[in-house]
Amino acid sequence: MALEVMVRTRATIPLDLAFRVEPGELLALVGHSGSGKTTVLRTIAGLWRPALARVQVNGSTWLDTAAGVEQPTHRRRVGVVFQNYALFPHLTAAQNVASAIDHLRGPRRRIEAERLLELVSLQGLGQRKPAQLSGGEQQRVAVARALARRPEALLLDEPFSAVDRKTRDKLYAEIIALRAHLAMPAVLVTHDMNEAQLLADRMVVIDAGRMVAEGSTGAVMSNPDALRAMGIREAAAMLPAIIDRHEPDGMTRLTTSAGNLWLPTVDAAPGARLRVRIMAHEVMLARARPEGLSAQNILPARIIDLQPGDGPAVLIRLALGEDEILARVTHRAVASLNLQAGDEIHAVLKSMSIARDHVTAG
Amino acid sequence: MDWTALWLSLRLAAWTVIFLLPVAVFAGRFLAYRKFRGKGVAEALVMLPLVLPPTVFGFYLLLAFGADSPLGQFWTATFGQPLVFSFQGLLLASIIFNLPFAIQPTQRGFEAVPIDVREAAACCGMSPWRSLWQVELPLAWPGLLTAMVLTFAHTLGEFGIVLMVGGSIPGETKTIAIAIYDRVQGFDDQGAATMSAVLVAISLFTITVTYWLSARVGRRLS
Amino acid sequence: MRRSLEETRADQRFLRGLGRRTQSSTCTNAWTNTWNLMICFVKAFRDLLMNLPLCRIAFVAAVLSGLLAASPLTMARSDAPVLAVASVLQFAVVEIAEAFKAETGMEVRLSFGSTGNFTRQIRQGAPFELFIAADEQFIAGLHADGFTLDAGALYAVGRVVIMVPHGSDLTPDSHLDQLAQMLAEGRLERFAIANPDHAPYGMRAREALIRKGIWEDLLPAMVFGENVAQAAQFTLSGNADGGIIAYSLALAPEVSPRGTFALIPESWHEPLRQRMALLPDAGKVAKAFYAYMQEASAREIMTRYGFDLPAGH
Repeated sequence: MALEVMVRTRATIPLDLAFRVEPGELLALVGHSGSGKTTVLRTIAGLWRPALARVQVNGSTWLDTAAGVEQPTHRRRVGVVFQNYALFPHLTAAQNVASAIDHLRGPRRRIEAERLLELVSLQGLGQRKPAQLSGGEQQRVAVARALARRPEALLLDEPFSAVDRKTRDKLYAEIIALRAHLAMPAVLVTHDMNEAQLLADRMVVIDAGRMVAEGSTGAVMSNPDALRAMGIREAAAMLPAIIDRHEPDGMTRLTTSAGNLWLPTVDAAPGARLRVRIMAHEVMLARARPEGLSAQNILPARIIDLQPGDGPAVLIRLALGEDEILARVTHRAVASLNLQAGDEIHAVLKSMSIARDHVTAG
Repeated sequence: MDWTALWLSLRLAAWTVIFLLPVAVFAGRFLAYRKFRGKGVAEALVMLPLVLPPTVFGFYLLLAFGADSPLGQFWTATFGQPLVFSFQGLLLASIIFNLPFAIQPTQRGFEAVPIDVREAAACCGMSPWRSLWQVELPLAWPGLLTAMVLTFAHTLGEFGIVLMVGGSIPGETKTIAIAIYDRVQGFDDQGAATMSAVLVAISLFTITVTYWLSARVGRRLS
Repeated sequence: MRRSLEETRADQRFLRGLGRRTQSSTCTNAWTNTWNLMICFVKAFRDLLMNLPLCRIAFVAAVLSGLLAASPLTMARSDAPVLAVASVLQFAVVEIAEAFKAETGMEVRLSFGSTGNFTRQIRQGAPFELFIAADEQFIAGLHADGFTLDAGALYAVGRVVIMVPHGSDLTPDSHLDQLAQMLAEGRLERFAIANPDHAPYGMRAREALIRKGIWEDLLPAMVFGENVAQAAQFTLSGNADGGIIAYSLALAPEVSPRGTFALIPESWHEPLRQRMALLPDAGKVAKAFYAYMQEASAREIMTRYGFDLPAGH
């Protein structure tokens, strides 16, 4: 059931990459505009044919330029969520979804369309035309329509770039909830590392058509080549946490494997499992446990390794309990504190520096 | 009032529309979606009947299916009468010189279909044929309608080519435009005025009703 | 789908002009493809029909006449042979055809135009059965190339006249002196003749004007009709000072009240020996008409229209 992709071409946008996505896995293709990530997606969908490419899904070949095999798009069982949704403007939401259901007829088709709309929390809105739906609702119709195809591969082309932040957060939650229902390999194209880190299991970073890094999200986020391509400021790690209780003064206490974490009120019930994205440059290090600091979060950590960068910074991987986070400090700091692998130190995190949208369902 | 001529003109216009409808859909769609080398030339060829004087066009048409041409001889051999100076010959000429009126607006109609909607249709598993019927035509129909109305009205009024290729044979190729011309030459101003008024009224009526219907359909669907 | 008050009012305004008020109706709300789109159109059209009895009648009438067009009634009519007739005989031959029908009960269809044009069309296979030309040479040419049944028959000799519309500054005289004078004085604006390249009457007009010596000077003011009937139309529509047209046209009841004319001497141009010929596909009606043209009743009509006749039967 895996999706295997290989693309190599020099025309238009030069591309040279290959990757594999397992069933049920979400792979994020991350890169700047013009890096070729959308082209790769279109190649998988059959909307573009490069000079040399091979796309195989579930054992069957969708595209093999060398062997002269090319299945037209409408014969590939692929579900695509377009950047601008591309809903059929003359059909209602239910009809949009129904148009992709080709294995059922008549009333059963309608029922299936309703079921899919329910899946994306749009029950009752099926009779509206796209023009009568908000951006977020249209996006969900697009997702439902992509799933209606019972695809062997699900492709999402920067699907959240056209919605506002608040809707985006809601949609992230939906997608994460939906993941449980997805048995097929999925590829998400995005330029937003945050999004990739929140949603994907594995990441491929593309720069000028070449794969710069590939691997699990955590690994890629600490990969200096990836960070160089995407911008060092993107370095971050996801820290799992469980909500303990909400305090009346507007703070929430969460427990992590390394201790308590205080954050401004998180909109979830006690006991909820979350992941918190901690930006590397927001992490301060201390040899001794500091006293009299405003920061509420001081957690014991152990240095795993240090990776000096090209500039004045060093990227440090820290073990925080059973989890890992990243910290970025200057060479000078490393030298003056004499930080080395294996050292037991303290990691300091400001509650306020953790952005609201960096907290997501685990 | 030459009712035969009027009826002939209406039949000619109606058959032209019927034949050009599928041509417009396929050619308009093809030109709207494909980019290929020589596309500019193809589009210019489609527009050619618009810019050529009708007499030049009629002259070339006569050469193409007159008695000396292979097509003309084939026709005469098969059907026993010549292709020129017959209703069928006129219809053929009418189809050719209405190509720009039929194809151009249809092409624009198809171009107005957003490309990502077309791609989405393919991704939803729709074959090009299904996509045409379920997505593209329902979105491109105003262009197609404009094309058919223009074709109909233009054929009703066409004169130069009909004269060259038709021969003004009553009941076969004497359209109402030619009948009006004859009346004028025959100093029958009354007859000419009556027929002209009828022609204008029919054309206006057709166009108005068509656009009114399309506005109603448009409203119902939105 | 609920119709807004706006829409209903707009429809009512439109239809009130046609004398009826509309009722609202609904198209089943959802539509998914072209088939439904067409159904929507048909429904809208049906609404129109139901609400406007006038339209209903017109529609039914259209359908009936459509059926009629294919009925045996019209088929019989379309068996009537088509005759190519030079436009100079615009009025004369119509009368002859009516007399022909009255006497024999047979019908013909007439197509008028310039002799030159017909000649070209016949060469290209036009389905005429009889060609009544305004000249001998064209017939001779067709005969030589095998396009006619035989050499044909001389049926009349025509004349040209100078004609001016009422109110024109020009007065017609046989020797074209007035014309020459007006031209010399620079007062002549427009003068019409048939196209001398392919219309026999135009050729003769040119010969006469050359004979008078004013052809070159007249050219800038010249207007050419596609055939002599159109030349007559130009001459008498008030847009030209005058013109040289066929005698037979000048005598026609539809034409003569519109102006005054003078016969141009025969010696000033080649004779207009008008010949007609049957074409290879000629059927019995065409042949009967051909014979009829040379008989007494037709000849009498031709004389009335100013034609000189060759020795009769």
